[in-house]
Amino acid sequence: MAATAERALGKATSRNGERTLGVASLVALAISALLSLVVAPPDAVQGEVQRIMYVHVPAAWLAYLSFFVVFGASIAYLRTKKTRWDRVAAASAEIGVLFTALAIALGMLWGKPVWGTWWTWDPRLTTTAVLLLIYIGYLAVRRITDNPSRRATWAAVVGIVGFIDVPIVHLSVVWWRSLHQGPTVFRLGAPEIQGTMLLALLGGVAAFTITYAYLMTLRLRVGRLEEREAREALSPIVEVER
Amino acid sequence: MAANVGYVIAAYLVTALALGGYTLSLLSRARNAKRRADAIAQRRRET
Repeated sequence: MAATAERALGKATSRNGERTLGVASLVALAISALLSLVVAPPDAVQGEVQRIMYVHVPAAWLAYLSFFVVFGASIAYLRTKKTRWDRVAAASAEIGVLFTALAIALGMLWGKPVWGTWWTWDPRLTTTAVLLLIYIGYLAVRRITDNPSRRATWAAVVGIVGFIDVPIVHLSVVWWRSLHQGPTVFRLGAPEIQGTMLLALLGGVAAFTITYAYLMTLRLRVGRLEEREAREALSPIVEVER
Repeated sequence: MAANVGYVIAAYLVTALALGGYTLSLLSRARNAKRRADAIAQRRRET
């Protein structure tokens, strides 16, 4: 399974794959914006401002996906000690931090007109803020040491332990009394959402997922080039030490 | 103009700026890392 994932990764990270994903993500985001802002009707209670949901929810889901990839790649690194998995985890963590911060910012823009406040210490909001801090910490841990193998091992441990917060964030609206609404799509039973709105929401999730794949290919290329740069810079020292 | 449309515009602008800005920063990081690595390799070949 790890070998198949590696092959798929290799194909997606070629320059052609990167360009194709870039164009696909632009097209998907344009279609998603059309569905969200034109096709979907305004909400009966909240009116136009509910359209923020079509970017807020996909951003939050992509944060979950990014951190799941960090979790999987961290386990794969600890098992195989292959640098490639560390590179995948680092790339996905950085993108996950972007999507988490975006989900929080969009939630604040939605919360102000609907709840009357930019921020409240609600369980969902608080656990999401903790999630953001955990993965900022993950990125900070990667800067503690210059030793690549030690850095990858420490980061992998944080990447695995930190993932515990993801199900806590998701279930916080079920476990505790929350101002934030409960699950409407990913729940037991039929989704509690009108058909066109569901289409716009799923379109947003699909567009953000393609964008995540594109950002991953770009970020992986940056990781490879930065490693090459470090190797080139260190090689005279390594030669002298030999 | 419907009430609170400003928040919707702000939300979509923030999304576009975040995704677009991060993409551009990655393209710039890749270009810079490649240029630096090439320069180091070139200098070593010359010495």
